[in-house]
Amino acid sequence: MLNYVARRLLLMIPTLFVISLIVYMIINMPPGDCVTSQIEELLSRGDADALARADELRALYGLDHSVWYRYFNWLGGVFRWDFGLSCQDTVPVKALIGERLMLTIVMESCTILFIWTVSFVIGVYAATHQYQVGDYAASFIGFLGLAIPNFLLALVLLYVGKVYFGVSIGGLMDPEFIEKPMSWDKVVSIAQHLVIPTIVIGTSGTAGMIRRLRANLLDELQKQYVVTGRAKGLSPFKLLVKYPLRHAINPFVADIGHLLPEVVSGSVIVSVVLSLPTMGPMLLSALKTQDVNLAATFLLFVAVLTVIGMLISDLLLAALDPRIRFGAAGEK
Amino acid sequence: MSSLVLSYPRHSLWADYIRAIGGAVLCGLPLLLFPVERWIGLVLAAGFVVFALFFIRTFLRQRTRYILGPDALAADGPWGARVEWDRLDRMKLAYYSTKRDRSGGWMQLAIRSAGSRTVKIDSSLDCFYDIVEQAALAAQARDLELSHATRANLRSMGISVAGQEETV
Repeated sequence: MLNYVARRLLLMIPTLFVISLIVYMIINMPPGDCVTSQIEELLSRGDADALARADELRALYGLDHSVWYRYFNWLGGVFRWDFGLSCQDTVPVKALIGERLMLTIVMESCTILFIWTVSFVIGVYAATHQYQVGDYAASFIGFLGLAIPNFLLALVLLYVGKVYFGVSIGGLMDPEFIEKPMSWDKVVSIAQHLVIPTIVIGTSGTAGMIRRLRANLLDELQKQYVVTGRAKGLSPFKLLVKYPLRHAINPFVADIGHLLPEVVSGSVIVSVVLSLPTMGPMLLSALKTQDVNLAATFLLFVAVLTVIGMLISDLLLAALDPRIRFGAAGEK
Repeated sequence: MSSLVLSYPRHSLWADYIRAIGGAVLCGLPLLLFPVERWIGLVLAAGFVVFALFFIRTFLRQRTRYILGPDALAADGPWGARVEWDRLDRMKLAYYSTKRDRSGGWMQLAIRSAGSRTVKIDSSLDCFYDIVEQAALAAQARDLELSHATRANLRSMGISVAGQEETV
């Protein structure tokens, strides 16, 4: 296992480096920079010194250096938890992302937990009760979840909450806690507000996972060893848990890595619609204004979380099911 | 059956040394070159420890000879152990691959006899098939219960253990 861990870690480090490089270069590719839009705004207001200020601002943000110099400067800063200045408010990126990053991680973790819990229960039920009312209901919910875009569901819930219940379900905490330091009351408020975004963001992932688990479990349940076990008089529960469920659950574990980027990217528009103070809306605005340091930092975090998710899923899979797959090359 | 003296091929050991040193440099260099934030430093230090352990494991492998005999498999080296076939009480054959399609991986056999330390060997060891076959025969003679993954991996190597077919 040490061999496996070392090899996986060794793959992880250059992967993160390459991702950070590609992300940084792509954000820099469009013509202009974050100062361009600021200067255009100043010129439109009739500010005569706008062009003179452009050079000052470019020097302040380091835009007078080459893109390679800026990249390595930013990357070196990552190790010191210093991601440079954001163009949006001329404040350090780390001051902007602090609470947003934490709230994003909390929200995405809750969403992934929601997806796993709900899809596991419904998926197993649907597979073990094939072609019964519960299975049809689960399939219907699954197709509904896949068909409805998350942001539309968010809009519908906002409307229903406001019109029929008189409550606003936007935001991730009550207004009195915004910009306030963390406290127990604030934690409770965040927990209460997390419910709707978790359901909204998690619905499509849950639907997909239910379909996958149901299909895999049905495949396993039709295999010869299950028939043999049934013929030998094993109880249905033991027969289900001992092998079929263990094998069918592999996609769950394998999806840890894939789920994270899906949930993060899927939550951007929902966060805008529900006014959630997470990374999504800020990333969107950073990309629009070419705030390279801020956007690259966010995307680096997504990449780190994805790569860690992949590592966890691979390690779990290697520990749970270290089987060779037929068709794969065998030994060295 | 006469005894066979086996060792890991030089190219496989060098590949592991390069991995261990490469990983240790990638994790350790930032710690030496930059002032690093404390928790990032902890993550890098943990990575460095993993690669250092991997280096030590590779070194131990280089210094170990495996002697396969009709009665036992002996790992003769700094962290040596002896697995007697007629006292075998654990056998696990796992397959690992770092690729998504699980191709190009390697097998790892873990065996232990009562009262001894577990011996773990990778498929890059010379005559790995013979060791696995011998262990499977011993497992069959001892009526050892093998995991589903071990049985599947044995089948993929063309080795079947009587009484260990697909059962529930």
